[in-house]
Amino acid sequence: MKDFTKCRELTPYLTETPAMRLGAPGKNGKLDLVFELDSGKKSVMRHWDRRAPLIVQQELYFDEGMPEMPCVYILSSGGPNVDGDRYENRFTVRKDAYAFISTGAATKIAEMVYNYSALKQTFVLEENAYLEYLPEATIPCRNSRYMTDTDISIHPSATLFYAEIYTGGRKYYQGGELFVYDLLSVCTRAFRPDGTPLFREKMVSEPKRKSVRHIGVMHHYDVFANVIVLTPEKDAGQIYERTQAFIDRDKGIAVGITHLPNRSGLIFKVLGKETQPVKKLIREFCSVVRMQIKGKPVPEEFVWR
Amino acid sequence: MTDDITRLMRLVEFSDSAFPVGTFSFSNGLESAAFEGEVYDAETLEQYVRTVLRQTLFCDAIAALNAFRAAGRNDYEEIKEADRQVILCKMNAEARQMLTRTGKKMAEICIRIRESELMKQWLEDILEQRVAGTYPITQAIYFQQCGLTEQELFVAIEYGTVNLVLNAALRCVKVSHYETQAILYRIGVGALEDYEQVREAGYEDMTAFVPEMDIMASLHEKGKMRMFMN
Repeated sequence: MKDFTKCRELTPYLTETPAMRLGAPGKNGKLDLVFELDSGKKSVMRHWDRRAPLIVQQELYFDEGMPEMPCVYILSSGGPNVDGDRYENRFTVRKDAYAFISTGAATKIAEMVYNYSALKQTFVLEENAYLEYLPEATIPCRNSRYMTDTDISIHPSATLFYAEIYTGGRKYYQGGELFVYDLLSVCTRAFRPDGTPLFREKMVSEPKRKSVRHIGVMHHYDVFANVIVLTPEKDAGQIYERTQAFIDRDKGIAVGITHLPNRSGLIFKVLGKETQPVKKLIREFCSVVRMQIKGKPVPEEFVWR
Repeated sequence: MTDDITRLMRLVEFSDSAFPVGTFSFSNGLESAAFEGEVYDAETLEQYVRTVLRQTLFCDAIAALNAFRAAGRNDYEEIKEADRQVILCKMNAEARQMLTRTGKKMAEICIRIRESELMKQWLEDILEQRVAGTYPITQAIYFQQCGLTEQELFVAIEYGTVNLVLNAALRCVKVSHYETQAILYRIGVGALEDYEQVREAGYEDMTAFVPEMDIMASLHEKGKMRMFMN
């Protein structure tokens, strides 16, 4: 597990949790999922290792646009992330395999007093691998501290669609709770398999220290989505051309797209006032990406999602 | 040791918007923000400038201060690392283009003003595409070679960033020279605190959280209307 305590922004939040020690069973979730082609060239989840409170069940093949794709939902039996929780995910997609990963519900980051919650993620995509990672939104509640650290190792021929949605908080809870968390720190790095770095994006939001309502930051928006598409340069060019950047004042939506450093792919950002329209735009964008790479669209989302 | 008066003369020269590196042709997304009606007067402009500044300080300034110290130790590999970190952390394509264009221009001008083996090597590496040659790193090398201090480098970065956006604002936002100068003066009050925040920072501390600004830059990149590069 990464040593998060070295991060400057966590310095005020290093007190041990008194109720249940850091690293105690139930506070240290872990997943290790490996997808690969079987002897019949079917993409399957070959290996899964899980430690509570994280759960995955056997892969399902429910995507009507791509019924050959294994789909996995990550669940947490512990409810929200609480003070001192640590999580570690490792997702590997072997040569030519493909997969879809999401979460069963939004990730709530509960109110904290002493410490913080952190997630370390590692993605490994081998030659010509394809992965769609579209978890539900993360909701940081009042006084919460949440940190993620994601490393991506990707072959130049592979494609990763990596989406994250962060809301400002429990907007409709009691009188409304927006941007009253202590810390949200999100770091994503990508490398080639030989270790050549591609980009590093670190976003730190501390609304109590520095307002996020300033023009240029969140301004009048409440939900933020960051989508990273790592894909070969020729595909990135096509996806870029087919994707619009716009601001729709009536719907309260803003969308932008640009090329990542080192010709590694694209970054797509969405701001909105509510989660659902942001999710819809991400899904539409995912459909453009899937169509470019796999020649197949993403179907309509289930009505209960 | 260069004396105070000479150092101040150089600081003013290299920080002047007339120093011909081409920063006048960039707006850091302000053109789109003004067109979209997000920035429309002095108050909204000041907010936008502060957002741009924060992003610059927690990326460019951190890398530049590390490169300045590396230049002082003649540690060329560390200078290259600082330059690489700037590119890795710049998510916006036009911002990377701006930093590499102005960085190259600055290196070209600098070796014509004053002989410097380090700057000569840096420019050669830029031309041979062995390094990206970003503006803050080129600036850091030159400031160190000219005997300026790291505080003076920081001032040049902060002043340059703010002034770039304010100058662009005079051409696309309904504000007066009086108002832009007042904004610059007010921001200057916090410069010491800004420096204290980043002086000890390393590459792992390079951060940015400016989603609306990123989207503005993207609108500009995708749009046809442009007075500025960005």
